[in-house]
Amino acid sequence: MPMTDNSAGKTGAAPEGVRARDRLALLTADNAAVPLPTGVQAITAILLAVLLIALPWLGLGYRFLSIAITTLYTAIGLYGLGLQFGQAGIMSVGHAALMGVGAYASAILSVQLGLGFWTSLPFAMALSAIVGGVIGLPTLRVGGQHYIIITFCFCALFVIVLTNGGTFTGSATGLDVGSVTPLPGINFDKLSNNYYLVLAALFLALAATYLIGISRYGRTLRAIRENEQLARSVGINVDLHKLGVLMVSGLFAGLAGVLQLYYLRHISPTLFGAFPSLYLALMVMLGGARYLYGPLIGAVVVNFLPEVLNLDPVDSRIAYGVCLLLVILLLPGGVGAGIKNVYCAVRGGFEKQGGGTNGRA
Amino acid sequence: MAALEVRGLRKQFGGVVALNGIDLDIGTDQVVGIVGPNGSGKTTLFNVVTGVHPATGGTVSWQGQDITNIGAHRIARKRLVRTFQQAMSFPGLTVDENVRIAWEQGRMGGSRWASPGKILDFVGLAPLGKAIAGSLPFGSLRRLGLAVALGVSPELLLLDEPGAGLNDSEAQAFAAVIAQLPPQGIGVCLIDHDMDMMSDLCDRLIVLDFGTKIAEGLPAEVLADPKVREVYLGPDRKVAAS
Repeated sequence: MPMTDNSAGKTGAAPEGVRARDRLALLTADNAAVPLPTGVQAITAILLAVLLIALPWLGLGYRFLSIAITTLYTAIGLYGLGLQFGQAGIMSVGHAALMGVGAYASAILSVQLGLGFWTSLPFAMALSAIVGGVIGLPTLRVGGQHYIIITFCFCALFVIVLTNGGTFTGSATGLDVGSVTPLPGINFDKLSNNYYLVLAALFLALAATYLIGISRYGRTLRAIRENEQLARSVGINVDLHKLGVLMVSGLFAGLAGVLQLYYLRHISPTLFGAFPSLYLALMVMLGGARYLYGPLIGAVVVNFLPEVLNLDPVDSRIAYGVCLLLVILLLPGGVGAGIKNVYCAVRGGFEKQGGGTNGRA
Repeated sequence: MAALEVRGLRKQFGGVVALNGIDLDIGTDQVVGIVGPNGSGKTTLFNVVTGVHPATGGTVSWQGQDITNIGAHRIARKRLVRTFQQAMSFPGLTVDENVRIAWEQGRMGGSRWASPGKILDFVGLAPLGKAIAGSLPFGSLRRLGLAVALGVSPELLLLDEPGAGLNDSEAQAFAAVIAQLPPQGIGVCLIDHDMDMMSDLCDRLIVLDFGTKIAEGLPAEVLADPKVREVYLGPDRKVAAS
């Protein structure tokens, strides 16, 4: 039978072997559609999981662990954005506001009704999903840049509403909550336990993203991203799935927002305004929205860059700008794409030396 | 009763009448060809029948159900499937994934294909399964367009200029693939300008001009029709002996 089985791990970018002058083209190619061998995927996942679980024991200090928590809950929100942008092709620059919907819903439930972390979480996630769907309604009429502007307006509007919400939203000062309701034997006041709580949620987000990516649902979303008209003509309900993915993205954002709220214990409107939203968009593009680890990589780079380079907030903004330009110019698919392309290039080179194995691993 | 029945179909774009009361009957056991000069409404007919554009008037019914203006994806799910004049694919995805997407959509209620791979075998794209669709040469892209449409398990396939942009040998190979469809229970209705191919391939020809049907019948009859010769073929064209 001709090569229709899925076991061949050949890169689509280089069907006939790789010449040296094609290397650069290969490095900037978009290999997102090329599946990695399952062995490589499994090893990466295990190494990453071990590293993340071991992190609090590495003795890196309180400050490092705090940044790690920020990174992880940001990454959870980014996985939602990665799904809607990377898979379905719908970008948003108002995503922090969607996290804010979750965070504020949970905080208001806590202040007004005394609901704790666990009981308010489902409501907050559901509300974020609904709001995600409602702001998504314009995607049925406009796409691309036009929709991005709408998300930006939503973000600005959200901050105005929060700032003028009186005691209900805490106005510009914001709202305070207690700590996460302890589970038997686990007190979340301890920073490492809070870290594990956020990490567990990240694993859920990662697993959900992976499963969606390999499922029929993921293929449906990619079909919409690639060619809406053709998607319709093969029977895909494009409108329904566009709103659907924005609601799923809202679920992730709500989860991230509630985790953010209970880590900071205090939220205010500025956390969910235009700047944080732009950072989220930056992170997802930097990391590579179409890659499983892209959003996580983006969150790690943006959150740890100022720490590693010892930058003050103004300098770090300049650094982000330069990073984004470099990524757009050199790695259109993000850092995730770069890592995968290097892997594909090395592998392509080995296969060439192996004497034309016709793409068989 | 024919599977697809179009009655008095009208489509107006502003002041332009693209379709002016078309009546059609197309079964699922034939190859029906639609020909006509540029701008005669052939593609608009496909677009309105498959729900890409809403109809201004008239009805389209499919297997006894009214499907006028019910939306493109619902019509596709009823196994009335079309391809596009500009060879379309999901360009950033692999050939395998392109066909799998369509196959998964058509699987509800039973697919005629055991797997997406069978479709690639049928259209002759199996060796290119791992290639990115956007990187395919044009001839393969046409085949992919057909494979994606076949993936939905159509009972009637509307092909919009499947031979456009292909060289002679590619077009012949393509026509050979199309000729295999009606015996498998897949009706074909196609638009093309290659009159030799059309008269070989089609059981019936329909000629459109300015949004109306001016002739219909066996290819030889239609090609001999003086009106058709005047508006489309030109008076000098020799009628192929059939």
